[in-house]
Amino acid sequence: MSTMTVDNTLRDRAVAAVATVDDPEIPGVSIVDLGLLETVTTTADGTVAIGLIPTFSGCPALAMIAADVEAAVTLLPEVGEVTVEWLRSPVWTIERVTDDARRTMATNLTLAVRADSGPTPCPRCDSPTVEKSEFGPSRCRAVHRCDSCLEVIEVMRDR
Amino acid sequence: MGRTWSSMHDFEVFLHGGGMVEVDDDMPDEYRAAVFRFIELHANSELMGGLTERDWIPRTPGLRHKMAVLAKTQDEIGHGHLLYMVAADLGVKTRQEMLEDLFAGHSRFHNVFHYPARTWGDQVAICLLVDGAAVPSQKSVYKDCSYGPYKRILKRIIAEEGFHLRLGEERALRIAQGTDTQRAMFQQSIDDWWWPALRLFGPDSKPDDRLARWRLKSEKNEVMRAGWVQKFVPMLHSYGFTVPDPGLTHDPETDVWTCGPIDWGPLKKTMAMDGPDTARRIAEASAAWETTRWVRDALDAAPAGAVT
Repeated sequence: MSTMTVDNTLRDRAVAAVATVDDPEIPGVSIVDLGLLETVTTTADGTVAIGLIPTFSGCPALAMIAADVEAAVTLLPEVGEVTVEWLRSPVWTIERVTDDARRTMATNLTLAVRADSGPTPCPRCDSPTVEKSEFGPSRCRAVHRCDSCLEVIEVMRDR
Repeated sequence: MGRTWSSMHDFEVFLHGGGMVEVDDDMPDEYRAAVFRFIELHANSELMGGLTERDWIPRTPGLRHKMAVLAKTQDEIGHGHLLYMVAADLGVKTRQEMLEDLFAGHSRFHNVFHYPARTWGDQVAICLLVDGAAVPSQKSVYKDCSYGPYKRILKRIIAEEGFHLRLGEERALRIAQGTDTQRAMFQQSIDDWWWPALRLFGPDSKPDDRLARWRLKSEKNEVMRAGWVQKFVPMLHSYGFTVPDPGLTHDPETDVWTCGPIDWGPLKKTMAMDGPDTARRIAEASAAWETTRWVRDALDAAPAGAVT
């Protein structure tokens, strides 16, 4: 989602407000950087409609994220009615996670994002990791182990 | 092989200087044993907690809460899985041995998992008061933790437990706005869970606590407990509930709440594996392990690459 426009339109400010909302389980990582923001529609009278997509439809944080987004956008001046909707398409994929978010997750939480092909590198030492379980503590995470530094890590996945 | 230390003194100097111990270091046996016991207790508690959550999946009211309970179950079991891996890496016991000891009643899990969760009100009280005690305890371990693999996993666990606590606060607020029957149910749950949750912090810390010296704990039990009381007494009062502590005092000058005398008898009983629900909990955990044996056997028997 691009926010690189110079004029400070309501839409831009709404996107910036959504970007202040972190994933409830990944502090320091914005839901925008995780690729959850899909659509932002504004009208002249200040109505803002936000469309989000979930990582997994069974994610328990959906209501909390939507409430946080609604609160963040409602706080903006000149904003009228705010609606937040979870969209059924497109389907979230890990390609949507920004490089910034990947770096923060790797450094702060030893949390990797599954590699497109080949083994996922360890967030600590960059060596190849091996999947130990497809099921981690969340729907969107698997458990891997690093062959080299032996670290037990979690890997964000989309399938 | 990692680093070695010639004596416990050298090792403690290293720890005192802020050094981090990693899995391949040749750490002193006493430290290895202490770290192992700590992580094993945590892993067992995540597993027992996850199984309680699981019991509530079919009974949870409303689809939204049901999704949350499903996910919380996966969280706790997932945390247990990560912790058992890290504990096993210390080479004291294998994961199999840890689980066998747990199901045989030979190893401990936290006191709060020795009590029955009878009603949805109990689940809300657990999510609020027990998770509300677990988060500061885990933060205290995380803050200055000297064992790297545990510290890094704790950071993720704390982030997720913080999410559980938010759910607990949301559920408590919702039940507080409920009918008289729902409010009475929650008051009963507060009465039943207040003291077990408070005792989770343990008795006052000893002046020369080895775990503090080895940087496996950074806050005294009594300080964390006082913080918990100060957080939850005003919260529950503001929702119109009472706290079952006749000795509770309030200093109007400082606005500080202090709990009355604490009976440690029930904590000793749970540590001796003799809590109100201990036997049933262990039997259920053991049964869950047995009924899923065929899955493990099938996975073990499958040729490499056959299961993805």
